[in-house]
Amino acid sequence: MTQTRTIDIAIGCAIAAAGLALVRLGGRKAHRSAVQTHIDTARTFNRSSALLALSVLTDSAMEHYRGSFENPAMYTPLVVSTVSLFAGLHGGSDNEPSRHPVRDAVYVSAALAGVAGTGFHLYNITKRPGRWSWHNLFYAAPIGAPMALLLSGALGAVSERLRDEPAHEPRLFGMPAGGALSLLASAGLLGTLGEVALLHFRGAFQNPVMYAPIVIPPIASALLIDAALARPREHWFTRLWLRLTTALGFIGVGFHARGVARARGGWRNWSQNLFNGPPLPAPPSFSALALAGLAALRLRETEKK
Amino acid sequence: MNLPRYPDYDVMEKRDTPSWDEVTRNVIDERLATPDDPHFFDAVEWRALCALCACIVPQDQRRPAVPLAAFVDARLAKNTGDGYRDARLPPMRDAWRIGLRALDAESRARHELPFASIDDEARHALLTDMQQGRLDGAEWCGMPPAVFFTERVLHDICGMYYAHPRAWSEIGFGGPANPRGYVRMVANRRDPWEAAEAKPGHEEKAQKENRRVR
Repeated sequence: MTQTRTIDIAIGCAIAAAGLALVRLGGRKAHRSAVQTHIDTARTFNRSSALLALSVLTDSAMEHYRGSFENPAMYTPLVVSTVSLFAGLHGGSDNEPSRHPVRDAVYVSAALAGVAGTGFHLYNITKRPGRWSWHNLFYAAPIGAPMALLLSGALGAVSERLRDEPAHEPRLFGMPAGGALSLLASAGLLGTLGEVALLHFRGAFQNPVMYAPIVIPPIASALLIDAALARPREHWFTRLWLRLTTALGFIGVGFHARGVARARGGWRNWSQNLFNGPPLPAPPSFSALALAGLAALRLRETEKK
Repeated sequence: MNLPRYPDYDVMEKRDTPSWDEVTRNVIDERLATPDDPHFFDAVEWRALCALCACIVPQDQRRPAVPLAAFVDARLAKNTGDGYRDARLPPMRDAWRIGLRALDAESRARHELPFASIDDEARHALLTDMQQGRLDGAEWCGMPPAVFFTERVLHDICGMYYAHPRAWSEIGFGGPANPRGYVRMVANRRDPWEAAEAKPGHEEKAQKENRRVR
């Protein structure tokens, strides 16, 4: 039990640090010029896309290894998410106010791979005996996982499109860019929520903390929708809540590490428990989307309507 | 018939890996330290039991044998039952004593020698008669020989054979699923810590896999 105790202490420290940061930072915002905000938002979306890609890369590498790469198509997310990760790192430090054609192509193909992956996973579920049953939703290929790749591609692709927009009052999909990006981040949070709800239900919410990712992100999502649709104004509470969601994603890794330690044999039996236990790379998806939401909110607050 | 083969697979290699824990190690160590002499049976019954085990599970002379008679004797000495019993048989200990004595008596009646001293052919003929219920000496004390054969002889001797790690290695069994369990629970998928079955012509591949099974 010493492993869980150590991890408990680490989680406690992380929660304390996050709490301290939230109290000090609160809902205050960092001041930037409008031009800076436009590119900064694009860069943050690149970085969020990269974090999602990292999540997809590690998760699909582990899960598809577990699935013995039965179908050669199972290598696709590894390749695509690696490329998307590099595109995100590149874009994250790129101040160029125009679309990068290679990055854009990478993002669009990542999104397409995400859609194709969802198709493959749906096929995997329905080909099993029982077809649409809880059992297959729980234990067949996870239906929501490829969506993370789609989201990684989508976040990156809109980032590239945002760069093409004028610095003053950029627009996306026929609406103010900040609003559009808020809606995208909000939709991403809801999609991820669905996957987490299903798998934490499978885990019987054995630890009450498992409710946290069911409760916190949908509120963040609703607040983002409100920020996108209402007249632009100061949203200190939304900002605070998105920061909380960001912290939730990273602290979630700690709780998942604790889940691995609780399994038979603990971390010493990692070669089994990393695959049977809660997935370590999954929770940061929330952080990636919340960080994107924060950037979208910053942009939204500079907008006129 | 071609049985599946697991070349170079030795389940004992897992002893000090995450596959086994202290409890598993203790149970197996104790089992492997079973003394190869009788503690429950007397010397006459023991000879009959050894001969019976050799008939039921003939073992490859080129490899160290699983001490079947010792395992059966140890189990009876401890008197760990199954938790159920065919009502036509007396309790396990009585059934074995009656059965072995009756087997010797039947053998003496036919060949004037105890069961352990007759040749293989005579032993097999006697066991076939036991399995088919054609023995009816007074030494059976009313116990049906056919039921004794299936419920005790086959059940206990075969069970004890597969209680030995060497038998596990032979059939590619990973030993107790504790603490290590299984991850890939789909037909024809193998976890890296499970034995690799040799495909004809690809024995080296299985050998290589089996050497690093942990």
